[in-house]
Amino acid sequence: MFQNRAEALALTLPAAIFAALVFLLPVAILLSEGFRSGGAWTLAAYTDFFSETLNRTVFFRTFRLGLEVTAVSAVIGYAAAFAIVNLPPKGKGRMIGLITLPLMISPVARTYAWIVILGRTGIVNEAITGLGLSPEPLRLLFTETAVFIGLLQLFLPLMILSLISALENMPKDAIPAARVLGANWFQVFWKVILPLTKEGLVVGGTLVFTGSLTAYITPAILGGSKVLMLETLLYQQVSVANNFISASVIAFILIVMSFAANILLKRLATARNGR
Amino acid sequence: MKKALITSVALAALFPLGAAAQERTLTISVYAFAQDDYKTIVYDPFEAKCGCKLVVETGNSVERIAKMEANKANPVVDLAAVSMADGLAASRAGLIDKVDASKLENFSKLYDVAKDPNGDGMSVGYTFYATSIAYRSDKMKIESWADLLKPEYVGHVAFPNVTTNQGPPALYMLGLALGKDTPDLKAPIEALGEKKDEIVTFYEKSSQLVQLMQQEEIWAAPIGRFSWAGFTKLDVPVAWATPKEGQTGGMNVLVLTKGSKNQDLALQFMDFWLSTEVQTKLAEKLIDSPANKEVKVSDQVANNITYGEETAKSLKLISSAAALDNRNGWLKEWNEKVGQ
Repeated sequence: MFQNRAEALALTLPAAIFAALVFLLPVAILLSEGFRSGGAWTLAAYTDFFSETLNRTVFFRTFRLGLEVTAVSAVIGYAAAFAIVNLPPKGKGRMIGLITLPLMISPVARTYAWIVILGRTGIVNEAITGLGLSPEPLRLLFTETAVFIGLLQLFLPLMILSLISALENMPKDAIPAARVLGANWFQVFWKVILPLTKEGLVVGGTLVFTGSLTAYITPAILGGSKVLMLETLLYQQVSVANNFISASVIAFILIVMSFAANILLKRLATARNGR
Repeated sequence: MKKALITSVALAALFPLGAAAQERTLTISVYAFAQDDYKTIVYDPFEAKCGCKLVVETGNSVERIAKMEANKANPVVDLAAVSMADGLAASRAGLIDKVDASKLENFSKLYDVAKDPNGDGMSVGYTFYATSIAYRSDKMKIESWADLLKPEYVGHVAFPNVTTNQGPPALYMLGLALGKDTPDLKAPIEALGEKKDEIVTFYEKSSQLVQLMQQEEIWAAPIGRFSWAGFTKLDVPVAWATPKEGQTGGMNVLVLTKGSKNQDLALQFMDFWLSTEVQTKLAEKLIDSPANKEVKVSDQVANNITYGEETAKSLKLISSAAALDNRNGWLKEWNEKVGQ
């Protein structure tokens, strides 16, 4: 397509310069703050951060919730994506439209809807008290459960879309062939579908996990400071304490976690194939 | 050809005018709150009056001060509206200049408490507000700040997070109710920490409280008076508490950036904002309680804002110095006792 590599590089140069100036450079400056003290390179900011019980609690909570949301969205996502790819074209288009519809609505509006749904007078509590499962409405808002539900609803469409794309690229006769050879549905999924759709799972998993780590509005509204996450802690450090060193540490941790998740998912995917 | 020449000459003639208009640009840094109303009441009329362009930057107080600090060598913002404590923080950081009150025609019209809130001549108060407890009068009775922690009420309370403007003042009053008048707020934070699992939420945005009250998620929350209007529109009975320990609150101030090239224009804008006409309009819209004592409002408006010098004087405010010196300590204590 291009005469030579120089031509291709020249075409990417404007975008690269723009990204370097408005994204990479500021991020590098911010992150370097966390490794410097009194003009010298040091890890003191990181040891200080992890020496506080609250920070450790928030770190593990964020990591755990990210994993839980990713795992559950993968399970639901595979089921939904498998059902959708087997629909006739018209039905498939409609379903994909329905899945993408929430992505066009602001996360703020979607999160506020959960306040209505999960509230003491919301439909969930009305159903619980109506069915006699509890005499009193349950406290669902401002809990880890609420944050989990909010994040799952926020990022599930990304997982489903990634898996739809992966399943559509899978050879159409792979599943019938496995069934003919005597594989049950679990074996079909584990030995055929999963290896053939690993790319979609890696992409979807990375999007959901990193999204769950970095989402601010949903944990802030549905969890508040009772369910502090790394991103709400970061906001607190910048906007209240004006502590950019701590903010830099949290930002770096979030970046490392995102990259680690991506690498880990890729490794798991290749390990599944025995390659 | 002739047409093109005339057009070129006309365009060339416009360039100096454009440059002149650009020179008369005032950049202000304000809270994101009620910006549509501010535009109508303050910004557009001032632009028409001065023939200048107003550039508005919004954000919370701490963020905007941090930005001013980053641009200290070459200031972008000419005037900022910040909390009283952040006004002092900006003063300590050498980010602001003294306000020349002799250039403000409306300065003499201000309540005494607003003329120099931090006592350093570096800021002028433009609004103050009371902070007390909005509560469901059909469900509970609030006579003391400590009532919020009563076993029968605590499961229906939203308390402001220490990171909000309402958090420290509300904690301070809770401390007074517990018989602990210390600026470190350790006692009230500890008391809240003991009840943290029962308290519905430690809110960060007062805008979410109206919905929570409507849904019966909460019965009570300490709020600033500027948030009160939303509660009056609810179809449930909500009252404004007058606890025996008194009410607290806060004041917002206007400051001038050090090294700004538009200080005279900034002073003109400050004077315009403090004028009786502008302050009256802002009060009638229930946006800002007036710092200008000549403002007269109806009883209905007065009941929904923080009105009058006696009210302002009666508020038990945390001094700016105490707030600044203890801010990080409060946050650390809060995160240890309440945040985990």
